[in-house]
Amino acid sequence: MLQVSDVTVRYGKTIAIEDANLEARHGQIVGFIGADGAGKSSLMHAIAGVVRFTGSITYDTFTYRSPKEAEPIKDKIGLMPQGIGLVLYDELSVDEHLDFFSDIRGLRRDAEYHRYRQRLLEMAGLAEFGGRLAKNLSGGMQQKLSLICTLIHRPDLLILDEPTTGVDPLSRKELWEILDDNRRQRNSITLVSTAYMSEASKMDAIHLFDEGHIIARGSAAKLIDSVRPYTYEETTCEGCITFGGRTYSLQALEAKHAEPSLESLFFVNALQKGKIPPPITIAPRENPIDIPPVVMEAKGLTKRFGDFVADDHIDMQLRRGEILGLLGANGAGKTTFIKMLLGLYPIDEGELYLLGKRIRSYEDRIALKNKIGYMSQKFALYKDLTVLENLLYFANMHQLPLSKAKKRIDKLAEGLGFAQYLHSFPRELPLGINQRFSLAVAILHEPVVLFLDEPTSGVDTIARAQFWKLLHELKNRWNISILITTHYMSEAEFCDRVVVLKRGKKIVDDTPANLHATYPEAKSFEDIFIHFYKDAR
Amino acid sequence: MRAGVIRAYILKEFKDLARTKMLYLVYILPTMILLLFGYGIRLEVTHARTIVLDYDNSTLSLDLISALEHTKYFDAHVSTMSEQEALRLIKKGDADILVIIPASLQKRILKHQKAQIGVYIDGAYPMRALTMQSYVEGEILHLAQKLLAKRGFDGHLITINQRTLFNQAMRDENAIVPGLIGLIMLVAPALLAALLIVKEKELGTIFNFYASPIGKTEFLIAKLTPVFLLHSLNIFILFLWAVYLFAVPFRGSFTLYWLASELYLFVSLGIGLLVSIITRRQIVAVVLTVIITVIPGFLYSGILMPISSMQGASAIEAHLFPVMYYNHIVYDTFLVGEGLASHKTVLYLGILALYGAVPLVLGTLLLRKELR
Repeated sequence: MLQVSDVTVRYGKTIAIEDANLEARHGQIVGFIGADGAGKSSLMHAIAGVVRFTGSITYDTFTYRSPKEAEPIKDKIGLMPQGIGLVLYDELSVDEHLDFFSDIRGLRRDAEYHRYRQRLLEMAGLAEFGGRLAKNLSGGMQQKLSLICTLIHRPDLLILDEPTTGVDPLSRKELWEILDDNRRQRNSITLVSTAYMSEASKMDAIHLFDEGHIIARGSAAKLIDSVRPYTYEETTCEGCITFGGRTYSLQALEAKHAEPSLESLFFVNALQKGKIPPPITIAPRENPIDIPPVVMEAKGLTKRFGDFVADDHIDMQLRRGEILGLLGANGAGKTTFIKMLLGLYPIDEGELYLLGKRIRSYEDRIALKNKIGYMSQKFALYKDLTVLENLLYFANMHQLPLSKAKKRIDKLAEGLGFAQYLHSFPRELPLGINQRFSLAVAILHEPVVLFLDEPTSGVDTIARAQFWKLLHELKNRWNISILITTHYMSEAEFCDRVVVLKRGKKIVDDTPANLHATYPEAKSFEDIFIHFYKDAR
Repeated sequence: MRAGVIRAYILKEFKDLARTKMLYLVYILPTMILLLFGYGIRLEVTHARTIVLDYDNSTLSLDLISALEHTKYFDAHVSTMSEQEALRLIKKGDADILVIIPASLQKRILKHQKAQIGVYIDGAYPMRALTMQSYVEGEILHLAQKLLAKRGFDGHLITINQRTLFNQAMRDENAIVPGLIGLIMLVAPALLAALLIVKEKELGTIFNFYASPIGKTEFLIAKLTPVFLLHSLNIFILFLWAVYLFAVPFRGSFTLYWLASELYLFVSLGIGLLVSIITRRQIVAVVLTVIITVIPGFLYSGILMPISSMQGASAIEAHLFPVMYYNHIVYDTFLVGEGLASHKTVLYLGILALYGAVPLVLGTLLLRKELR
């Protein structure tokens, strides 16, 4: 039994989590969900005894109030902090990691130990990679290795901070199988935070975090029930939020009720806090333009790094006014592909056509630069310039006259809902606002095609919903074509067409509707993805 | 304290150092500094470009000129150019010294009248200028001495004692190389020790320490032992370079040199440890360590300036940094050889031990098993 009473964690003046209370029984898997910076990690660190806190934590009969007091039960705790491969050493192999983690825990190497170790390796699918260095493992394999290193001393209290973020769906499924097995074998308490609601829905209890407080708790079913009265089928109304075919409202509406999901919790919470996201509007293009029916075409595009083929003869078409989702695990070749399209990497083989013209040289690209917009994984903003100065700088780069640029920036800031932040510095703003203003930078010059590389990773549910609304608005108003990479499978549903890459090869190219029709048994796009990944293995 | 846990950490550390090629750095860096500075710094001046304007043309003036011409310290040219022209050459940096021998120099001296020789020296680099000035003065006094002897006076009436103590050959290597050992053994181990902990903080692997039952002392022993062992070898390597490559004499006890160096290694480890406890990023740790160690290591090592000639603030600062104490022992073992017979050496060994213990104890107290 784990009992957390009035735990508060402070970093200087900021309060990361305040007066958190929590109970968990042996054999339970308890989920933490909530936006970035809501306090999930801080509470986990407090329970693991790696950060100073006030309040008290009781594990079975042992109570501790500081990291120092927690020292005697660290034998029983297993912590896997957030970040892919964070606790691994690049230069150590899989076996050496297990040796190291066993030795620092002072484990005895008896027959039972070796049996257990072998079982973990097999469950993680790492048994045949014993000699491989951690730096040469894929993101999914690194997370599985981190997990079995955390499990090697058989902890009774397992604390896992977003173990599955950024991991491909198949590896995620395997991680969960290991966790489930461990829970059954050891009857341990497992605390897991996750950004994937499909995972949270399978847990025994969920805690919803918001701005340093736990605002709701209970089973997935109970939490979903709690927002049912506020969930309606899509309609238009004042003071409500509409997303993903549902409308959320605190006032009773005429419309029929719809079935909520865990994601609905976030929308209802935003309504209750009076934080209704501003509507998003995009003004029509200032300079209307004729766009050819096929905006981008790749024929047999290939990129090699030494012996490693990052992209292997990929064919792809991006049509006018289409949102094309590029999906795949870490290291599948998504970012490399986009970098080839942008000319950031030279193309080793194959042909690339942009707006009907074959791209051969640097000059060809320069001629087209003003038609392309790009937003990178890490928003390329200057930290020491204000939002407005950043936008003016990029307008300058595209040789927009100052008066025209200012007008356009005002219009975009108004439409995208960051007008009040124009004079702030990017680091002072939440990730969601930065993301929208990065998009404004990418579309300032009214491009006809937009390349977005994981624009939504790390951004909370509501900001992601806003972002997708914005993309659809852009598509409708400007007839723009968008190529977007993401590792949130649920976002595939918002695309007109999806392409799935696996180890540099294209394995799927179809519309979500067609894919659902082909696999009617699949409950979500995630199931379809796992199906393809398994088949192509 | 569990030996198994410490051994596992040390083993991991060695593997990591070897595979990240950091191990090369451990041995290349000290040798590189020694070679670069050992050959690079020259305090003595040779072949100073000297212009001599001889208006006297007497035997005395010719004697003086030949004296200047026959040492390696001057490249003397007798010239007929004007004084202005000669001074312009110095200004342009084409000459270092101008010697003007006035007309009737010999005549005045023979008549027991005072005579003056004009000497102009390029003072752009004061240290160099002072050195050149003393050379010229030396030559002139030497000549005067010879002249007296010739005139029947006791030649030893004027004596110039230019014997240099402990470094009779006046070799730069003897003065610089032992001092460099003090600099290197302060910088290199501190850098490595600072990196070993900060690296884990920056990468996130420090969680393995925070979240496991490893004790603070166990962790520190595990982190500092590899650095200590690896750099202990450098004590010998640097010694061999000094004695065999730079041909610095070694007059003292090797055991004393070795023990003092190991003590000094603890001082360096302690500095690295403290830096890595207060920093979060590797780059900050590197810059901070370099600032803390290189600058005082160089200024107060006695390479550029003897500590005994320092005054006021600089003397106090010199006594605050550990370099001075170690260098005293190193210079003693290399050049003097008095060893433990000197009370100062014994005292300084004690001070070094204190300097080694304080940061290590402080580091152990400051190190926290928690995030900040």
